[in-house]
Amino acid sequence: MSAIEHMPTYEPVLLKNMSQPGYTGSLPDYEKTGGYRALRNILGKVAPADVTQLVIKSGLRGRGGAGFPTGVKWGFLPKDYQGPRYLCCNADESEPGTFKDRQLIERDPHQILEGIVLACYAIGAESAYIYIRGEFVLGAKILEQAIGDARAAGYIGKNILGTGVHADVWVHRGAGAYICGEETALLESLEGKRGLPRVKPPFPATHGLYNKPTVVNNVETLANLPHIINRGPEWFAAIGSPPKSTGTRIFCVSGHVKRPGNYEVPMGITFRELIYEHAGGMRGDKAIKAFIPGGASAPFLTPDHLDVKMDFESVAAAGSMLGSGGVTVMEEGTSMVWAALRLMEFFYHESCGKCSPCREGSSWLVQTMRRIVAKRGRAQDLETLSDLCKNIAGRTVCAFGDAEVSPIMSTLKHWRHEYLALIHEAEAAHLLRPEPAAKRH
Amino acid sequence: MPESKTDSVRLTIDGIPVTVPKGTLVIEAARRVGVMIPHFCYHPKLKPDANCRMCLVEVEKMPKLQTSCSTVATEGMAVRTATTVVNDAHKSVLEFILANHPLDCPVCDQGGRCDLQDFSHQYTATASRFVETKRIFQKEYFSPLIETQMNRCVQCLRCVRYCDEVMDVKALAPAGRGTMTEIKTFGTHELDCEFCGGCVQICPVGAITSRLSMYEYRPWMLKRADTVCQFCGDGCQITVQTKDNELIEVNSEYGAGRNSGDLCARGFFGFRATGHPDRLTKPLIRRNGALVETTWEEALEYTAQQIARIKNAHGAQAFGGLISGRCTNEELYLFQKFMRLAIGTNNLDSSARYGHMNGVQAMRRVQGTHRWTLSFEEIVQADVLLLVGTNVTETNPITGLKVKEAVKKRQARLFTIESIRPAIGTISNITNLVDQHVCALPTQFGGAVLALLKAVVESRLVDQRLQHESPDYVGAVTQALERLSWPELEAATGAARDTFVQMATGLAQGRRVVVLAGQELLRSAGGYGSCLLLLDLLLLTGKLTEPGCGFAPLAEENNDQGAVESGAVAELLPGGLDLANPEARARIARAWKADLPLAAGATLVEMIDRARSGLVKGMLIVGENPVGSLPTVVGAKEALQRLEFLVCQELFLTETASLAHVVLPAASSLEKAGTFTNQEGHVQAVRPAVDPIGESRPDWEILSALSVLLGTPLEYGDAKELLKEIRGVIPGYGLLGPAPIPPKVDRAAVERYLAGDYRRALAARYTLAGPADAAGGTTHLGLFQSLFHSGKLSTRSKGLLQIEAQAALRINPADAARLALADGDRVRLSNRRGEVTTTVKVLERVPEGSAWFPDHFGQDTAKLFECAIDPDTNVPAFRTASVSIAKIS
Ligand SMILES: Cc1cc2nc3c(=O)[nH]c(=O)nc-3n(C[C@H](O)[C@H](O)[C@H](O)COP(=O)(O)O)c2cc1C
Ligand code: SF4
Ligand code: SF4
Ligand code: SF4
Ligand code: SF4
Ligand code: FES
Repeated sequence: MSAIEHMPTYEPVLLKNMSQPGYTGSLPDYEKTGGYRALRNILGKVAPADVTQLVIKSGLRGRGGAGFPTGVKWGFLPKDYQGPRYLCCNADESEPGTFKDRQLIERDPHQILEGIVLACYAIGAESAYIYIRGEFVLGAKILEQAIGDARAAGYIGKNILGTGVHADVWVHRGAGAYICGEETALLESLEGKRGLPRVKPPFPATHGLYNKPTVVNNVETLANLPHIINRGPEWFAAIGSPPKSTGTRIFCVSGHVKRPGNYEVPMGITFRELIYEHAGGMRGDKAIKAFIPGGASAPFLTPDHLDVKMDFESVAAAGSMLGSGGVTVMEEGTSMVWAALRLMEFFYHESCGKCSPCREGSSWLVQTMRRIVAKRGRAQDLETLSDLCKNIAGRTVCAFGDAEVSPIMSTLKHWRHEYLALIHEAEAAHLLRPEPAAKRH
Repeated sequence: MPESKTDSVRLTIDGIPVTVPKGTLVIEAARRVGVMIPHFCYHPKLKPDANCRMCLVEVEKMPKLQTSCSTVATEGMAVRTATTVVNDAHKSVLEFILANHPLDCPVCDQGGRCDLQDFSHQYTATASRFVETKRIFQKEYFSPLIETQMNRCVQCLRCVRYCDEVMDVKALAPAGRGTMTEIKTFGTHELDCEFCGGCVQICPVGAITSRLSMYEYRPWMLKRADTVCQFCGDGCQITVQTKDNELIEVNSEYGAGRNSGDLCARGFFGFRATGHPDRLTKPLIRRNGALVETTWEEALEYTAQQIARIKNAHGAQAFGGLISGRCTNEELYLFQKFMRLAIGTNNLDSSARYGHMNGVQAMRRVQGTHRWTLSFEEIVQADVLLLVGTNVTETNPITGLKVKEAVKKRQARLFTIESIRPAIGTISNITNLVDQHVCALPTQFGGAVLALLKAVVESRLVDQRLQHESPDYVGAVTQALERLSWPELEAATGAARDTFVQMATGLAQGRRVVVLAGQELLRSAGGYGSCLLLLDLLLLTGKLTEPGCGFAPLAEENNDQGAVESGAVAELLPGGLDLANPEARARIARAWKADLPLAAGATLVEMIDRARSGLVKGMLIVGENPVGSLPTVVGAKEALQRLEFLVCQELFLTETASLAHVVLPAASSLEKAGTFTNQEGHVQAVRPAVDPIGESRPDWEILSALSVLLGTPLEYGDAKELLKEIRGVIPGYGLLGPAPIPPKVDRAAVERYLAGDYRRALAARYTLAGPADAAGGTTHLGLFQSLFHSGKLSTRSKGLLQIEAQAALRINPADAARLALADGDRVRLSNRRGEVTTTVKVLERVPEGSAWFPDHFGQDTAKLFECAIDPDTNVPAFRTASVSIAKIS
């Protein structure tokens, strides 16, 4: 009996079109599936504030990492502000283990564009920018093409479908820095500056792109909008684990599983179901040792957490976070210290350097971790590691600081013995060596 | 202003209650109650960036520690700055910052005044937990004047932010990521910028330092003197640091002086000019045609004898005197008193005549003051600014910073009439920040103001009350403007009518309107008339008498304003009193207990003319260099050569001094005490930083000694005694407060002007200037002041010469392309009056069809210029000419 037959089936929402045979993501294809219907039904017919209310009612929360309620975020824009407002679609997707936005972009771009125009309408923005990860060359091309087609068809641009509503969309390609996915660094980069996070407050809602009221939303967040409009907020709110985690999510499963890939499931299924049913279980049917539940920034969890429900609250209660939806699975035999170092190397490489704890801390942490893995660790290193992590977390300009310490902190918590084993090996080797002269005084 | 309930908030810092204005940052609120929160990246001049995380504090009800440098104080906030949690956070941030720091304090120029040292001393344990490899940057050449040592950098970005936010130069940028972030020049070339030294000053550690004094001192070895810069009318306060009577460095403290710590290249790097080996150290006397060293006794006695001889033989009117606006008030005052009493003539003038007098006389006539009715604060707080012919970022850089602050930080609207094109360059360009800009030739600045006036009248923006109360004035002006047509105004100024209408509307709508006129306007032909037009503009829009509004002509020399107020110009007595006014004369005569000479005095060019014609036979020239400054047509050299006797008090053997019969070595302003009055009318103390070089003596001492020998002793124990006498003559002069108290517009003067005085030469100033110069040629040549020089002194500064060593003709890229010219190519400039050769430098900000030549190197080009004397103010205008440019291959 194969796993596929066992796999519970859920109605996909975001990945539905592209799973139809022959669906190319072109404008006619998208229109055939009812595409841009939401736009026709909303623009000029429903008041923008009511669209925001619909989204609040649906319970939709951001899919970019922080899980902030989308409609509520929109509501933070100043009501009486006269000047321009902006929407930015965050397509920087650089979180290790996360690859859902890429699929949405490459396979069904109009779904996102329709979401973008709907969001623009709701917040009163006439310009939207899609900030796309620089490496997504194909994605950028597909988006450009789709925007061109949608503009020609009157779905984007000036006076959309004769409603008097304007909303134009531009694609801006990143230049290879993870930090530009952080919303304020993204805005700086869009403005043509060095992509460094801004100090908050003020928040983008009041002082965003070019200091104007701005909303930044993730690709997947925006892609949900046409469906919420078409099928109603009640429909959406009934999916998943209401009331706090509604709708589906695309989880990106990677690591030592049989079938890595994107799986769109209602929020609230268990990790066990995702890993063993959808992703086909462990490679070679080995035991599972650890998994990261929501992208590299989320603390590691253990097999004890396999029955945790995949919704925002349950994962937080288990000491991690649902984050970007990237689930990385590790099998028995994986060195957890090495795994933590691997991610630390990433964070060290990507620390933007703006603030002292993260800039200096990342280089300190990575060097200490390298030493430990290279069996040159010392007993006091573990205390230093956890001190440094504590001194970084919560004291940095952006959330990167909290993210970069989670691999080390969580592996130290659950697999401390692995660190100790490496250090003991190092000390044993060290005892065989004579003590350096300089240290004897 | 009293803080009302609504615009202040109350909070507690470590339990101490404090009330602060709304919007105050917690770190500043703490400072108010004497709590210093450690910080690196915060600086009151800069927008908070909160990157160093050093200033974390606990705020009640907030779960995380907050950065006090970016957190705004709110009502009822309770802040804790010294709890265990906060102390631990400070320690840990310092531990991070020190992790990669090289700890090379023993060889760091910042050692002893370094924030990192100080906070480490305060917070950290002696042993470091960091056992990994420190990050090392390879040493890279940065620039001739500024050195970086990136291993010491704490990445606070203060330097980058200063260069962008305050200077608007943007020469610096962080490069690289994470720990590999380092501060570099914006492009891949050595630093090319304004060299204001701001980054050096604002760096909290020793990562950016000045090369002029690298490794020459330890800060605690230095002796400091707080004094005033000698390079322009902005009057920046500087702290001169010396070691063993040698100048080591100049800096300026945040909050000090009118500049509040900001300086320009001249102030920061120009200080060593006075120590140049060419400085005169001994008196010189002419023997057998050559100047040879002599003793003070002989030099002074011979001088006194010659003066007396000329006076006896030809009368006091055969003598004349010139003085530089670089001298102190005490010296300027004593000079005019010496000329008027010891010699007995009003033939005296100062460098204020080169242009400053145009602004002063216009203010005297229309608003009855001889100084600004506003100060730098009003520039910063202005909501609408109009700049005319200022080239402010080069001529008066600190005034430029005030304008930048008004525009960049406070969103003032900026209108400019300048002969500059907006363009990104290595130094800042004020026209990049404009709302509306008219790029006109200096000869047409007046025309642009006329167009502005016409727009005011035609758009019905004339103040209702003025219209009602002074219909004649409004009518006369309106009528005069009707004679000018838009096509001719547009052709003359190169700007469209709509631009002027926009500007006029903005000016009329402004609540705090400030008009700045710079040397390009003040020194142009018709400069006085243009100043009057600008005052007419303020009158017509109803702004002149409004608080926060006013007219501000910029002074070129550091004490041009002092020269005017000390009475060191032919037509004015101390206190700006009119020599022609019998009451004023009587007042001064009473104070001096002596009669004043009656005959009106000759001004600068008149004196030269009289020397040529033989009417003037002897001259005393103090620090002034007419031969080097005036164009060849004036014939200053030939005229001075005809003098029977010429005595110069000088720092260097200038073109003028080398013609003298006696040259007396003078002390520079770094070597003497006194006061300077900046263009705002703020009187500031000048203090000696080093001893006079060689046998040089302060100018006032020399004048005093001569007066004794002439039998009219004007004796003073020191400069303070002179200031005391000045205060007797000009009540309250220079009480040396922290900021000037500007006079108010004299309503009686305004009424006199509106009642009919405006008619004097109305038609002339309401006429468009014709094509400037018929000397032949299609290129408009203009002398301009470079940021890096301000005259003979700066061209002897090693630091400044390292930035700009040679004169180069600035031309527009399009003209360069047309003539196939590139940087460094040689060209011939010619017109009917002569020709010179020079090299070119292509600069985008130069308008097409124009070429700029730096003033301080201007001697070569002097022959190309015509000189027009203003009939009202006697100001010689000679800074523009038309020439042809040809490439020399
Ligand atoms: C270091 C860092 C990297 C981030 N990268 C991304 C990213 O690649 N894509 C994304 O959508 N959000 C990313 N975020 C989250 C964004 O800051 C922001 O919260 C999100 O785009 C908001 O959209 P949402 O409300 O639709 O989730 C990142 C956040 C941090 C701190
Ligand atoms: S936490 Fe790291 S990534 Fe975020 S601003 Fe600071 S240095 Fe940059
Ligand atoms: S010296 Fe140059 S780099 Fe430094 S702040 Fe001034 S203009 Fe900028
Ligand atoms: S050079 Fe100095 S001012 Fe600039 S970032 Fe480094 S430490 Fe800060
Ligand atoms: S030259 Fe002028 S602006 Fe520059 S430091 Fe001196 S007084 Fe200030
Ligand atoms: S001083 Fe506040 S973070 Fe640097």
